[in-house]
Amino acid sequence: MTDRPVLEATDLDKRFGDLHAVRGVSFHIDPGETYGLLGPNGAGKTTTIAMVGGLLERDGGQVLIEGEPMTVRTLDPRRKIGLVPQDLAIYPDLTARENLTFFARLYEISGQQLKDRVAKVLEVIGLTDRADDRAGEFSGGMKRRLNIGIGLLHQPRLLILDEPTVGVDPQSRNAILESVEALSSDGIAVLYTTHYMEEAERLATRVGIIDQGEIKAEGTRRQLVQMVGERDRISITANGPLESAVTDLRGMSGVEEAGASDGQITLLVRDASELLAKALETVTNTGASVSSVAVEEPDLEAAFLHLTGKALRD
Amino acid sequence: MKILTIARSNLSRFLRDRANIFFVFILPLGIVLLIGAQFGGETSRRLGVSMSDGDPVANAILDNLESGDRIRAIRFDTEAALLLAVERNTVSAGVAIPENASAQIADGENISVGFVSRPDGFGPQMRAIVDQAVATATSEAAAARFATDRGADPTAAAATAARLNGGTDTITIESSTTGDSLFEGVTGRFDVGASSQLVLFMFLTGLAGSAAIIQSRQLGVTRRMMSTPTSPATIVAGEALGRFMVVLVQGLYIVAATALLFGVSWGDPLGAASIILAFSAVGAGAALLFGTLFKNDQQAGSVGVIAGLGLAAIGGSMLPIELFSDTMRQIAKFTPHAWANEAFAELFRRNGTITDIGPQLGVLAIFAIVLLALATWRMRKVITAQ
Ligand SMILES: Nc1ncnc2c1ncn2[C@@H]1O[C@H](COP(=O)(O)OP(=O)(O)O)[C@@H](O)[C@H]1O
Ligand SMILES: [Mg+2]
Repeated sequence: MTDRPVLEATDLDKRFGDLHAVRGVSFHIDPGETYGLLGPNGAGKTTTIAMVGGLLERDGGQVLIEGEPMTVRTLDPRRKIGLVPQDLAIYPDLTARENLTFFARLYEISGQQLKDRVAKVLEVIGLTDRADDRAGEFSGGMKRRLNIGIGLLHQPRLLILDEPTVGVDPQSRNAILESVEALSSDGIAVLYTTHYMEEAERLATRVGIIDQGEIKAEGTRRQLVQMVGERDRISITANGPLESAVTDLRGMSGVEEAGASDGQITLLVRDASELLAKALETVTNTGASVSSVAVEEPDLEAAFLHLTGKALRD
Repeated sequence: MKILTIARSNLSRFLRDRANIFFVFILPLGIVLLIGAQFGGETSRRLGVSMSDGDPVANAILDNLESGDRIRAIRFDTEAALLLAVERNTVSAGVAIPENASAQIADGENISVGFVSRPDGFGPQMRAIVDQAVATATSEAAAARFATDRGADPTAAAATAARLNGGTDTITIESSTTGDSLFEGVTGRFDVGASSQLVLFMFLTGLAGSAAIIQSRQLGVTRRMMSTPTSPATIVAGEALGRFMVVLVQGLYIVAATALLFGVSWGDPLGAASIILAFSAVGAGAALLFGTLFKNDQQAGSVGVIAGLGLAAIGGSMLPIELFSDTMRQIAKFTPHAWANEAFAELFRRNGTITDIGPQLGVLAIFAIVLLALATWRMRKVITAQ
């Protein structure tokens, strides 16, 4: 297997009349990676995905699927993509099995393989028992799962999920997140858009923060948080000569700020997990006895707020 | 074949909808039956008889007419009432038996029975039945029976019987016609009614079916199909074939059901099949085009019904085109219905075959090609746009 990216999107651009919906968006996804496109409603996530999937003519930029150019006219790269649209795209008057079979045929699967794949996908999305019921009778969560299942039929290299948990009950939501994790550990590359920060944190290897059609920042959660100057906070409650401990701690590399008050030392550090052991050792070396430690890692919400000047939740 | 996959899902989704089953399979038969009864059908088997009560000769003729179930005889009190009924097509033909027929015969006179029919319709068949009934009534057995019925003395009865048996001259039948011919050369109006209804319903089903194309778009399924390795051309062709199959299935169904249930004759099978095929393509083209003109399936559905009924009316599927003014006949030529109706009429009237309806089939093919081309162009635009 080559290690070239499954998806390489470069300088994607799209205007709808006066509205510049996507402005020079670039990102790539490596095999096995889950890329989270995190942004509020109207940020340009769906538009970006439509261009990646070859559904929407773009005004600029390039999309490569395993090195193959994707345009609205190319069919071949589509075999490698499973695109799960934000809104349900299933026939309510067909059964789950019929819906899957219909799309499997469009993905050029036939014969025994078709039966096998449909059965397998029904199992993955937990609808084996309801396979022959009409999709219109399903709960919202079941419909969502069927919607996702269609994108898995042809075992794509890249699965694109556009806000798959919107309007889903917590149980189904968790089931969806778990199956994405399972797929990812099977080595499938995932492009996951969401406006839920905790989903991006939980699933994504890397996150692109998108707002007003632009990727404002990109990286692992830690990188993003650090990029905007957010720091991990270590709080150490201890008895003893805290002032001298603070002086020693300030001398450590990686410690940005240190202070003590009311029997508690507070440290702002780049990476708490790296520094924690050493910091505790430093404190105990001054003769203080530590009674408790707490670590707070700033979340993407903070990074998002910082990057876009607005809260993610609408 | 992906085109077939798309077409098949179209068809099975269509057949699954109960409302469709009613409108497409049950209603048309009901209407064909109704129109048939109005324009022919039942009437084709009704024969009016005017006669005086209790006249043995008249009763004998009536008995003979009704035996064998070939017709239903309907009694009229006066000859005038009978004539009106024939003119209005309430009955297909009438038999007027003079008052006192038996007495006249017994008195040694020859009598004359009137037979009146419309210039079109079932005149010849009816006349044959009447001839036979009269002939039987004049047979010796019948003569003896009515003589005995009258309680006449055996000598007189025998004399009457002998006279009757002497030849058919005793009772002659005088044919006349009344009313204008509406359908030149057509022998079964039921058939004309059925073919124009067939055309009406096939087109209507096509247009109403445009809703399904819009639904696929609204459901996001069309767009999702685009995300699979399936070209827009394939999707459009699949949708077109799906509509074609739906319309075709209905057409074949109506033909088969009316032939089996009501004995409608559809003329030359190859000719009828080609009209149905060509008209299904027209219906599919119209469905596809309609499916691209509206965003909302209900809108398309209701406009479709209005357009379908309107074009059917203009095209002579509601009121026979024979009743149209010259201007309206010219206007009718702009509807595919008129051409299909004309083609079917050609099959019935002149016992036409596929070669006789070449021009009509050609025009229908042009309708289909133009509609499908327009629709394909529009549809590609619609489904590739966001
Ligand atoms: N077909 C379209 N025509 C006009 N504007 C559109 C169209 N699709 C999306 N937009 C606009 O582009 C912006 C980005 O939309 P979208 O990509 O759907 O955002 P997201 O998926 O992040 O919520 C929004 O302002 C939206 O209203
Ligand atoms: Mg969206």
